[in-house]
Amino acid sequence: MTTIKIDPVTRIEGHLDIEVSIEVDGGVQRVVDAKSSATMFRGFEIMLKGRDPRDATIYTQRICGVCPISHAMASTLNLESAFGVQPPKNGRILRNLVLGANFIMSHILHFYHLAALDYINTEGVVDISPWIPRYVTPDMVTEGTAVALVGHYVQALEIRRKAHQMGAIFGAKLPCTSTFVPGGCTEVVTGEKVSDFSSLIGEIQGFIDGVYVPDVLTVAEVFSDYFSIGTGCGNMLAYGVFDLDNTQTSKLLPRGRYTDGNMEDVDPLEIAECVRYSRYVAEGGDLNPSVGITEPDIDKPGAYSWIKSPRYGGKVHEVGPLARIFVSYLAGEPTVKELVDDVLTHFGAQTDALFSVLGRHAARALECKFVADAMVDWLDELDPGQPVYEYSAIPEFATGMGLTEAPRGALGHWIEINESTISRYQVITPTAWNASPRDHFDQMGPIEQALVGTPVSDFEQPIEVLRVVHSFDPCIACAVHLITPEGKSLGRFRVS
Amino acid sequence: MYISRREFIKLCTAMSGALGLNSSGLLKLQKVLASESATPVIWLQGQGCTGCSTSLLNSIYYMTVDDLLLHTIDLEFHATVMAGAGELAVSAAEDARVNEGYVLVVEGAIPTGENGRYCYLWPGMTALKAIKEFSKKAAFVLAVGTCAAYGGIAGGDPNPTGAIGVGDIVHGKQVINIPGCPAHPDWIVGTIAHLLINGQAPILDRYGRPKDYYQRTIHSNCPNKQRFHDKALFARELSETGCLSKLGCRGMWTGADCPVRKWNSGAEGEYGINWCIGGRSPCQGCTEPDFPDGKSPWYTLELA
Repeated sequence: MTTIKIDPVTRIEGHLDIEVSIEVDGGVQRVVDAKSSATMFRGFEIMLKGRDPRDATIYTQRICGVCPISHAMASTLNLESAFGVQPPKNGRILRNLVLGANFIMSHILHFYHLAALDYINTEGVVDISPWIPRYVTPDMVTEGTAVALVGHYVQALEIRRKAHQMGAIFGAKLPCTSTFVPGGCTEVVTGEKVSDFSSLIGEIQGFIDGVYVPDVLTVAEVFSDYFSIGTGCGNMLAYGVFDLDNTQTSKLLPRGRYTDGNMEDVDPLEIAECVRYSRYVAEGGDLNPSVGITEPDIDKPGAYSWIKSPRYGGKVHEVGPLARIFVSYLAGEPTVKELVDDVLTHFGAQTDALFSVLGRHAARALECKFVADAMVDWLDELDPGQPVYEYSAIPEFATGMGLTEAPRGALGHWIEINESTISRYQVITPTAWNASPRDHFDQMGPIEQALVGTPVSDFEQPIEVLRVVHSFDPCIACAVHLITPEGKSLGRFRVS
Repeated sequence: MYISRREFIKLCTAMSGALGLNSSGLLKLQKVLASESATPVIWLQGQGCTGCSTSLLNSIYYMTVDDLLLHTIDLEFHATVMAGAGELAVSAAEDARVNEGYVLVVEGAIPTGENGRYCYLWPGMTALKAIKEFSKKAAFVLAVGTCAAYGGIAGGDPNPTGAIGVGDIVHGKQVINIPGCPAHPDWIVGTIAHLLINGQAPILDRYGRPKDYYQRTIHSNCPNKQRFHDKALFARELSETGCLSKLGCRGMWTGADCPVRKWNSGAEGEYGINWCIGGRSPCQGCTEPDFPDGKSPWYTLELA
């Protein structure tokens, strides 16, 4: 048995250490065991305690600078649920547009600037830092395909910058927005802003349809064995995102769950976080985000990560574009069904091929297109001059919950307000689900499971391992910051 | 016999297996043929969120990020974008700091609690140890973002991990602070350009920030000052026009050129298309040493 440690995993957000054990199985070197370990910790929950509830939207965005808009959305939904206020139509749509802009930015960044280098031999194309030192494996694309993809990588830098520029029209500035507030948005709708937004989304759609999606398919054609590598746990969870009205039940990408082969509802009370292998004191079994005690225990025996293990109904679930697209597909959304079926037909594959490295990349690209196209419709629904915001006072005592999606997957914020200040604030991020360590049933987390069975040809260049990990688009700052509830006593050094 | 550079690299790569060259050796081989004229930059991330790097990617006013990477600096290490991983990546950082003259950029705060073990960059290398060691031979040290400069969000009360800024760790060497949450891409690129052109740091204010970008308060430059503030025209509710000072704006106590430069520019030489106050949201004071605690609560909305 050989153990390979990749630390740092690069081309992700944050600090991640991946360790895989490899054995020869039927003449092929394969991963038989994997450990996903986060190596940085900050402690947002304790920091949020005692603050003005409205500060949460600004503060929690800094959990992650790649998906801050998602935290802004989760936080405002959380506060709206606690304050008992809903945004006017314009406010709801403006926030969706800014969130959509960041989704697009993030997905394009992910495929080209984080993942693509796993598949391209850049020798002779670009031979300077940071593109060297690099892995060079025989299966990587070379020649014209490599040159084209590197050219698109550069073009993608411009497009992702434009996606942020577009988002700032209503977000004031990106990465971190200042216009999301409980009750709506501070920016207003004008014909000029709508027109500027429209120009940019049109240009971005051109890139998504003409470059991004085709490139994903090109890579998939060359690396088609990756439709059966990185399968993962097979269970999917999506809170849903992009509210189409104020009922919280109608979303562009719906809420849903795929567990043990069946489509199911999502009940947030079924979510719990284990700390068996996480560096926190264990005070009991599964704990829902709304109850429990958490203290860091940096030298806890057996623990190997700062990430906790969120589980739904005690089972491992994957989150992300694949989860959202798959739930949407099973729910019968016609556009998604057509997009996905086109890809499956192209490769002569069944839906189980989606549970793979390439399935994740394809789902991400298709979702990018689906969201961008929907944004054009949302622009039409805006009413210049109509309200964008409704004021509400901070309640003295209240609880709230905000469930949405970050580009990487399901994101939830929970709040408890006492005497008009935050007495408890919890966050469960997508990468906490995906990059979680084992739980107290010793069930591996999604990335760990996806790694098992992965062939590794060259121990000095474990590119296959990187390809699997990157397909999840991990964000470790998100995964660790958080949470769980805090304990009852004050003044202790308690963090999560 | 003439062989192309490409063939040479292929040959070396093939031979490396036979010679048992490890990742460090492969690196040296590749570097021989790489550009040597650009200034080396080592970018380390502590307790950050990658927001400053994401913001940097939006650079266009001075130059785009591809111009920066292809023609201006030699980005030897940056965990978010570099090709290599694991030992290969670590060898790039260790190799880059052998010779003096590199620029060390730090993003994210540095935890000091538990002997720095709340943040590891790679096995055996805590962020705390990395800053101390990598700053030794750096020609310049840049703390990008409020977290790296002053502790920022990562050091928010009660600061469970003992997070502090780079300037509190690096002694005997000037640290150039480029705060902001995140930092504006122009502040980062402009300062790097200044270093490369002039070979020395720009003039800094008492918080170690380049005066060019941070000297004037938001309020003194705000387009709403004459139009609204001086006429006592105050917005009473969010999304209304008017001066935002009654809604919590920290512009009077915040140094940054946002009113002029704005954010998210669309073209070289052009200022941005929007900014916090332009979007009718009060300034949060994100470039100041006391951000977030001394600048929050960020909203005072009870007037309505």
